[in-house]
Amino acid sequence: MYDTTRTESAVSQQDIKISARNVQVYYGDKHALKDVNVDIQDKTVTAFIGPSGCGKSTFLRCINRMNDTIDIASVKGEIRLDGEDIYDRRVDPVQLRAKVGMVFQKPNPFPKSIYDNVAYGPRIHGLSRNKAELDEIVEKSLRGAALWNEVKDRLAEPGTGLSGGQQQRLCIARAVATAPEVLLMDEPCSALDPIATGQVEELIDQLREQFSVVIVTHSMQQAARVSQKTAFFHLGNLVEYGATDDIFTKPQDSRTEAYISGRIG
Amino acid sequence: MPLSWALLASLALAAAGYMVGRSRAFASAGADSRTLHSRPTYHGMSVALLALIPALVIMVLGALARMTGLLSAEAGGVVGLLALGAAVIGLGIGVSRINAGFMARNAVEKIVLGFLIFCSTIAIATTLGIILSLVFETGNFFSQYDWRAFFFGTEFVPRFEGNSRLGVLPLLWGTLYISFIALLVAVPIGLFGAIYLSEYAGPRTRSLAKPVIEVLAGIPTIVYGLFALVTVGPMLRDAIAQPLGLGSSASSVMTAGLVMGIMLIPFVSSLSDDIINAVPQSLRDGALGLGSTPSETIKQVVLPAALPGIVGAVLLAASRAIGETMIVVLGAGAAATLSLNPFEAMTTITVKIVSQLTGDNDFSSPETLVAFALGLTLFVITLCLNIVALIIVRKYREQYE
Amino acid sequence: MTDMPLPQTGRAGARTKGSLLQADSRTRRRNAAEKRFRAYGVTAIAIAILALVFLLTTIIRDGASAFRQTYLSIPVTLDAEILDPQGNRDVAEMSRVLTLGYGRVLDAALDRSIGSLELNIPGLSEGDVDGIVSREASAQLRQRVLNDPELVGQTVELNVLVNGRIDGYFKGRVTMASAERDSNVSPQQLLLADALAERGLLVTRFNREFITNPDASDQRPEAAGIGVAIIGSVYMMLVVLFLAVPIGVAASIYLEEFAPKNRITDIIEVNISNLAAVPSIVFGILGLAVFINFAGLPQSAPIVGGLVLTLMTLPTIIIATRAALKAVPPSIRDAALGVGASKMQSVFHHVLPLAMPGILTGTIIGLAQALGETAPLLLIGMVAFVREYPGGPPEGLFDPASALPVQVYNWTQRSDPAFVERASGAIIVLLIFLLCMNLLAVYLRRRFERRW
Repeated sequence: MYDTTRTESAVSQQDIKISARNVQVYYGDKHALKDVNVDIQDKTVTAFIGPSGCGKSTFLRCINRMNDTIDIASVKGEIRLDGEDIYDRRVDPVQLRAKVGMVFQKPNPFPKSIYDNVAYGPRIHGLSRNKAELDEIVEKSLRGAALWNEVKDRLAEPGTGLSGGQQQRLCIARAVATAPEVLLMDEPCSALDPIATGQVEELIDQLREQFSVVIVTHSMQQAARVSQKTAFFHLGNLVEYGATDDIFTKPQDSRTEAYISGRIG
Repeated sequence: MPLSWALLASLALAAAGYMVGRSRAFASAGADSRTLHSRPTYHGMSVALLALIPALVIMVLGALARMTGLLSAEAGGVVGLLALGAAVIGLGIGVSRINAGFMARNAVEKIVLGFLIFCSTIAIATTLGIILSLVFETGNFFSQYDWRAFFFGTEFVPRFEGNSRLGVLPLLWGTLYISFIALLVAVPIGLFGAIYLSEYAGPRTRSLAKPVIEVLAGIPTIVYGLFALVTVGPMLRDAIAQPLGLGSSASSVMTAGLVMGIMLIPFVSSLSDDIINAVPQSLRDGALGLGSTPSETIKQVVLPAALPGIVGAVLLAASRAIGETMIVVLGAGAAATLSLNPFEAMTTITVKIVSQLTGDNDFSSPETLVAFALGLTLFVITLCLNIVALIIVRKYREQYE
Repeated sequence: MTDMPLPQTGRAGARTKGSLLQADSRTRRRNAAEKRFRAYGVTAIAIAILALVFLLTTIIRDGASAFRQTYLSIPVTLDAEILDPQGNRDVAEMSRVLTLGYGRVLDAALDRSIGSLELNIPGLSEGDVDGIVSREASAQLRQRVLNDPELVGQTVELNVLVNGRIDGYFKGRVTMASAERDSNVSPQQLLLADALAERGLLVTRFNREFITNPDASDQRPEAAGIGVAIIGSVYMMLVVLFLAVPIGVAASIYLEEFAPKNRITDIIEVNISNLAAVPSIVFGILGLAVFINFAGLPQSAPIVGGLVLTLMTLPTIIIATRAALKAVPPSIRDAALGVGASKMQSVFHHVLPLAMPGILTGTIIGLAQALGETAPLLLIGMVAFVREYPGGPPEGLFDPASALPVQVYNWTQRSDPAFVERASGAIIVLLIFLLCMNLLAVYLRRRFERRW
């Protein structure tokens, strides 16, 4: 399980996967995200928490440039992935998103078979040279998403026929199959029942061994359960960032404390 | 026109009834008009309607009877008098009904509701009218002309002196050939146009291009027909058909198909636009989030998801093309030929309906009646296409609602 | 524990680590495909726009000249001996003199005034001189004299229509070369026309008669106008307006607000959406079978055309009206019901007024569709050649008339190329009507658009 011997001070520069400096986001005239600075570590689960509309999802969507698809959004500042500015003019967002995968709030399987859903990413990015390799990727990803045993006999059935929790794990498998380095999850459990939520949380804990996972969540309990680092956002500001245990037990900022104790949000 | 006088008189009676009813209501309420169940205007209306409706019914029945020859023209005056009498009696009954407790509003609303129901059955009546008139006259046609010769005949040569050959196959072939070319033009252009406008274009391009395409939809088909006849036909003949030795006729399958294709572009594009927009954004996000390019997202996720809807739209467009008349009348020609050459003049079901039913018609000859059989064929084909398309589109919408 | 992740051993799924700043070859290839795909979209839009521009420019190019017409101004002596042999200026007596007599008067006037110009055109025959005016000119002169018998015996300055070929010469349709091959016009006549134009006797000016005149026969394109067609179209629109709108709105109100959800309502709804897609020519067959053959209404009458177009427009109006009613939020209905209004009152006092802009927009678009419709009108005899203006409504609705789009069709069936110009001109008028209606619809939508 989690390597508890590693402490905050022991994190070396190499472990930083994503570093954001002075990130500002505007939706038209609205200043949605103000001056965010944060370093996100590799092979760690980082949780973004905060009341709705605080900018946590906005920031998440900046990390793989999904905000590009919204006409009125503009992003300023600098986000580096492995030291490379992802908003550099030379960066192709398509290539970036292959490295930084995303799982969305609502399960959104494509109206294709389970197999084709998972194989979609490897196909467009050319990760397999033949059918056997593709089969291998699909199986590995479905196992990785703890779904293989449930679906291995019906890979040709449509992904939309699965239950909500299965659909979300399928979406995770789909993202994992693309072999990303970072996995972004935008409230992945908000549409799921408690049992499915438990399965997905367990999965997130396993995914940490391969990826840097960033999860946006509404639920403080969930953040406490799955994450090692937590960032608290409020009204577009990154208020506090630190080890999850510290944030929940001895918050530095009065706003963080108010949120955690249930007075705002 | 005694009926129009009767109509005016009944209207005047109704107006008078309204005034009388209203004042009677006030009078019966005494000092306090709040004791009335309904507002005085409703009392007035109930009297007016009671006077007007029986009169109108009698007049309409009388007019129908005269049209169908059950009544002579002189009987019109009698009908008018009868109607007027009914109006007076209705007025009397209406006025006598008035008292403080009379539920005039409910009575009026019942009548209005009846009118609303009547209006909504007119659509059904229209369909029935279409089916009955087509089936009846087609029956007449088949009593004079062998149905096998109609459905399997490969020649369509009507002759006034009789002994015509009236096979539907060459017309069906021309219709389908032209529609096929039209769809070949309209579907790619309309679909790509809709994709571009809904997935790529900025708000400025969209606000410019969309109205232009809508203008294309608002142009009457006769304009497209003239365009085919005067401009496109001669152009195709001089530029392609004659140099290649494919024919020397300005009217051709290609002319009509091309112009009809242009006409169908806005139809296809607005239907596809609706359908593409119904695909949830979350699917696009899912694909983009995995690192697919927008075109990969469209080709591999949006279009497959929208496919049933698009198939429905294409079927609707096909039904439009098959039923289109003016473009083929002016652009396709009049000779019924079975040929593969798209630069040859061919003709369609609709063209022959027009040519057999314009001018002096003799409704006992098969040459005229064949138009009804053609009409029935056309109606059945387009109806099937429409029903299938509507079912597909409806299923598709439910899937994403 | 079969669900545990497999160890990352196989090569499958592995990615070569590269810098984000450099697109790898696969990404470059995919981006090229992306550009191509976009180009297809741009091309499709461009084709659609070009087709529209091409269509409109050809129509305007062909039709603009219909609004200009060439006239010859000459003094005509209205010879009393020919036109009023009895000499009592009695209109009944005078109307026995047929158009032929007026033709002789006109010919004499032409010969005199052109002879006096002393033009030297070799090979110009007397027939050539007489032939430059329209055959319609003598009929117009007769009409004028019969309206005002006192003109007989006087010499009046007249503006007479010239022959369509001469008119075409000034519009560039007829050239010297084409006149050589044309039996209807000779090069000498064109030379004469040039000479007359030089002296200012032959002028091309705005053609008001095109809008007001009735149709003219095959041989007289120069006199043909769209007056009867416009009246016919207006009458039909009135019928549609007075029938389709109340019936359509009433049906929509019932279906949207009152109808119970049952099989019958379902059938009506499916029926309406199917009716909207029935080919228009089928409505023409219905009109012919029911209104003309069965009910015995007259052929070519605007009332029949109006009835057919009403049935055709109803589905459009019903669909638009139902959408407008659906857009009114249920809270409005609840509010009215909550203060004790009956269901009927809540609909007529609150829902209907709020839905009105949407209903109007849909109605105008339905009317515009009906105005441009041609095929069903062909079957109910609107193609007939009609020279007489219909009477005033309501009786005039039963008189024969034409309709704008049918008039266009009619002219396309004639051999003289001058009728192409007339047909295109009529289309310009039709398109202007449609444009106005659509602008009105857009204006109403913008002005009253409400968002809840």
